[in-house]
Amino acid sequence: MINVKKTLLYRTINLLWTEINDFLITLGNIGKDFLCVAKTLTTLKVDKKALIEQCARFSVDSLPITLTIVAMTSIIIAMQIAPELAKQGAGNYVGSLSALVMVRELSAIMSGFAIISMIGSSYASEIASMAVTEQISAMRVLKVDPIEYLIVPRFLSGVVMMPFVVIVSTFCGLLCAAIISNLTAEITYLNFISSMWHGLFIKDIFVALLKSSFFGGTIALISCSCGYSTRGGALEVGTSTTRAVVWSFVAIAVWDYIFASVFYL
Amino acid sequence: MGIEVKNLTKEFSGKKVLNNISFRVEDGETLGVVGFSGSGKSTLLKIICGLLYPNSGEIITSPKDADIAMTFQYSALFDFLTVFDNIAFPLTQRKEFRNKYSREELKEIVAQKLKIVGLEGIENRYPSELSGGMQKRVGFARAIVTNPKIILYDEPTAGLDPVSSTLIENYIVELKKELNASCLVVTHQLSTIKRATDKAIMLYEGEIVYKGSTKELLEGANPYTRQFVSASIKGPMKIKTL
Repeated sequence: MINVKKTLLYRTINLLWTEINDFLITLGNIGKDFLCVAKTLTTLKVDKKALIEQCARFSVDSLPITLTIVAMTSIIIAMQIAPELAKQGAGNYVGSLSALVMVRELSAIMSGFAIISMIGSSYASEIASMAVTEQISAMRVLKVDPIEYLIVPRFLSGVVMMPFVVIVSTFCGLLCAAIISNLTAEITYLNFISSMWHGLFIKDIFVALLKSSFFGGTIALISCSCGYSTRGGALEVGTSTTRAVVWSFVAIAVWDYIFASVFYL
Repeated sequence: MGIEVKNLTKEFSGKKVLNNISFRVEDGETLGVVGFSGSGKSTLLKIICGLLYPNSGEIITSPKDADIAMTFQYSALFDFLTVFDNIAFPLTQRKEFRNKYSREELKEIVAQKLKIVGLEGIENRYPSELSGGMQKRVGFARAIVTNPKIILYDEPTAGLDPVSSTLIENYIVELKKELNASCLVVTHQLSTIKRATDKAIMLYEGEIVYKGSTKELLEGANPYTRQFVSASIKGPMKIKTL
């Protein structure tokens, strides 16, 4: 007699079902928390002190790692394309190509990755720790809304500060690209800047800022929501943090696809 | 009357954790809630303070929307805030108190509450810099900062040495007198029941198996309380639930 529960097919289906169930629960929690955040925002009652603190944390704390990642990416791209384009007599296009790549895609997405690992993971783990040590329950007993106190300032700081981070990192990335192009392919700074402005449109800058704002809000919301729904102990804090990071990566990839489809297809 | 619990029932996944629980606690009275682990004591407190919803039954407080405070087993102090900010937290963040008090007034209130629990001058310290007993007392100070009429204590002396436990028990008695509050103390410790409560109920498998005075509970008024007080594994309460 075959024990159905021990078959590979049964275990695979069971595992798949668990994953789907987990996915739906997480999606539901994020949706529910977003509605609570939206409801709080409609009252226009936001703790300004907490918001300023979170804005500073989101931007200043994440800048070193964000700038490093964006600068390195931009240096590598410039090292690869500048000599090749110059060799084929297309050195005038290095600036515009770099600007397009940085403004449209790389700056926002790389900053997003850096912020997920630096800020998103810390949001998720600190709120998850608060949940498992009953600090969130204590907040509710004290009649203070944890969504309003913990999630709203973090969500708003993501929406407001992510465009700022992306602007700074884009400037940094383009500066690095200009220097590397000059060093490796003797493209002058003036030539690089002139080419850069020819390749860029106002729409690109607008879309990049809008997209980064969506990225920031999404990262903050997913991270806070994963932390907030944590139950159990230390193991679950780790699981929630991992879930927040993975979900944030997937979410910004999906947002990126949506923005590219809507504005550039 | 401070608080009345009527026919309270709570189920988790079809299993009744609390079954038709009823009792009342008058103003200035402390009720001890005892029972083995898993008997539903903490669930009862969580329902009373609004962290969980019951399946049926009601909780009547007097006045109707009386402020209910709760102290947690592991204090649940906000570890990113100082002692001052922890205690002042309800006054600075709760909607009805927000912007009501100046910084100076808050300092005065916090100092007064810290004095009640015997911890003057630690306003600038963080919870991680305090001992377990001190954290519990700061938790007490935070709970009473809004002068609540109902105070719930979840395992207030768990994990403390006997001397610290006695100190905590004395504060439970003093706070009740200070605020004329109705108090519920969930505990496993017989010493806490003896020193800090006026009457007690005992829960077993979600039902009340004893309701009466603390004195009679400690004297072993029925087979359940007798088994609990004598810490015996033989008796009406089955070992599988322990």
